[in-house]
Amino acid sequence: MDKQPHMRDDEVLMRVRDLKKHFQVSAGFFGQNPKFLKAVDGVDLDIRRGETLGLVGESGCGKSTLARTLIRLYSPTDGVIEFNGADLAKLKEKDLAPHRRDIQMIFQDPYASLNGRMNVRDLIAEPLEIAGIGDDKSRTARVHELLEVVGLNKDHANRFPHEFSGGQRQRIGIARAIALNPQLVICDEAISALDVSIQAQVVNMLEDLQKELGLTYLFITHDLSMVKHISDRIGVMYLGKLVEIAPNNALYDDPKHPYTRALLASIPIADPVEARKDNQDQMQGEIPSPIDMPSGCRFRTRCPLATDLCAAEEPELKELADNHKVACHYAE
Amino acid sequence: MSSAPLLKVDNLTTHFHTSRGDVQAVRGVSFDVKPGEILGIVGESGSGKSITCLSILGLLKANGEVVDGSADFEGKQLTGLSDKQLRTIRGDDIAMIFQDPMTSLNPTLTVGEQLIETIVAHKPVSRGEARKRALELFELVKIPSAASRLDNYPHEFSGGMRQRVMIAMALTCDPKLLIADEPTTALDVTIQRQILLLLKDLQEKLGMAIILITHDLGVIAEVADRILVMYGGMVMETGDVYDVFESPQHPYTTGLLHSIPDVRSHTKQRLTPIPGSPPDMLRPPEGCPFAPRCPHAIQQCLEAMPPLFERPNAKPTVHEARCWLHHEEAPKALQSIFDAPEVSNG
Repeated sequence: MDKQPHMRDDEVLMRVRDLKKHFQVSAGFFGQNPKFLKAVDGVDLDIRRGETLGLVGESGCGKSTLARTLIRLYSPTDGVIEFNGADLAKLKEKDLAPHRRDIQMIFQDPYASLNGRMNVRDLIAEPLEIAGIGDDKSRTARVHELLEVVGLNKDHANRFPHEFSGGQRQRIGIARAIALNPQLVICDEAISALDVSIQAQVVNMLEDLQKELGLTYLFITHDLSMVKHISDRIGVMYLGKLVEIAPNNALYDDPKHPYTRALLASIPIADPVEARKDNQDQMQGEIPSPIDMPSGCRFRTRCPLATDLCAAEEPELKELADNHKVACHYAE
Repeated sequence: MSSAPLLKVDNLTTHFHTSRGDVQAVRGVSFDVKPGEILGIVGESGSGKSITCLSILGLLKANGEVVDGSADFEGKQLTGLSDKQLRTIRGDDIAMIFQDPMTSLNPTLTVGEQLIETIVAHKPVSRGEARKRALELFELVKIPSAASRLDNYPHEFSGGMRQRVMIAMALTCDPKLLIADEPTTALDVTIQRQILLLLKDLQEKLGMAIILITHDLGVIAEVADRILVMYGGMVMETGDVYDVFESPQHPYTTGLLHSIPDVRSHTKQRLTPIPGSPPDMLRPPEGCPFAPRCPHAIQQCLEAMPPLFERPNAKPTVHEARCWLHHEEAPKALQSIFDAPEVSNG
């Protein structure tokens, strides 16, 4: 059963086309042959209104860089980020301001992302202040309201971040993120630093907030069990590219890319009987350097199916089944 | 099953002295490790799982102190040994690896030099022989092109490869016990699986015992023989890994299992979190440390510390849980929560 049967399938909130973010890592000899780290290297992605789109991949695959480029913490090297009728990729800093309030981010480490010298009231009111909303009094009232929404209370407003547990700090981070009624919230490993019992609390709250406020989530994580639980669709990234994207059950039942298969086979399952069944998809080797990328298909150096074709030609992301896109010459 | 334990920990109690009072990190922990077995210790941050092992090895920070209890390794008392005596045991008989291999390696020396140094320090061999042994160890932990990799610096290795280097170093003296503290937590899942299978392989090949400390029940399910569930500085439940996952006897274990989504499930079900947060170990609760968060707690749970109750007829080894609901006078209705095998949320 889909989480949101009423979801308007076709309404795209953010349309990303051929997005690239390259970092120059060495100037080269007298400026010749400079080297680039191609963190995001041509990503096409539609984020639909009201959905939770999961994004998974190993460290170094570019998923966090992609997120930071989407909210223009990084300037893209190339490509299009269509959002509310504007192309965020092309906008100048001053023209970005009105869009910034519509896209918010929740970070992994709730301690590092909250200024320890500000109390909770000021932390949560800060985005309101920057956006010039309300006066001091109305902002305080809004902070109290937001604290209730995230399961804290107004007595917490005068305290400082160090007085809270990790889970509570993440709640403060979430209150900050939703203060401006954003349309899109990007959760970058938002629950990864939390203990298992607290993760479930925060995930349930994120789901409730989505329903109440009509939020759209881009949920970035390396936790393959949680991402299946929370997402409607899931994209898999490898070395700066999307290699597969599909509705959550379709991806887990019928993974079509050899990388996705290997990734799913590695999930630690909390059941010794299941966990110790042999599976052949155990992946050898490690992710290559994004500076010296393999030719053709980026995954071919670790792929059990790779042939000459894979070295010669980079596979395109093609729709092989309903809403199920794969970039592999041999996927069917 | 009946072999004498390699390590016997009895009533281990560790406090950290702070300006705000004593943090009671470990409160009377007892367990055995048998030769050649993998014991998985699972718990959340602050449960005392890492401090238990650091206490055994005498690696506590200056303000930490083992205030009671003992750890016995092959008949030798570890608690109370001098630093020098402990150092010999740590190198020769017990080795330890940590979560972040980068901070455990010297960035200015090649990994080969560091490995050779370790071998020469522990064994009466020449550097040439030590290099040969280093190469053997690299091959044992399956580092590709081992011979040339010996001359690389730590930064030239990926996280997974660095952890292999650390395992190679730990194996220098053929330890009887390897303590691995969150060895795969910083790694990607594909690499995590490789390292876990390597540890399992080494345990089978070399016959060494492993204590695997982790917050991840999935990691335990993958490789451990027995499991120890810790909470609030205490052992909450212990038993054979299949037995405990199939019929958990403590509400905390059940709660943990229900907090993680089942990746095999097709229908979306709301997660069942454990409400509240872990106890403050400066002033741990008088009764069961889990009682304030436990959906089944009765008055007795809040007032008195439950002992470990043994589950009757558990196979293949003892299965115990620290929960008053196993007391014969506990309300029968509540006892029944443990009867049926737990169905994972799917």
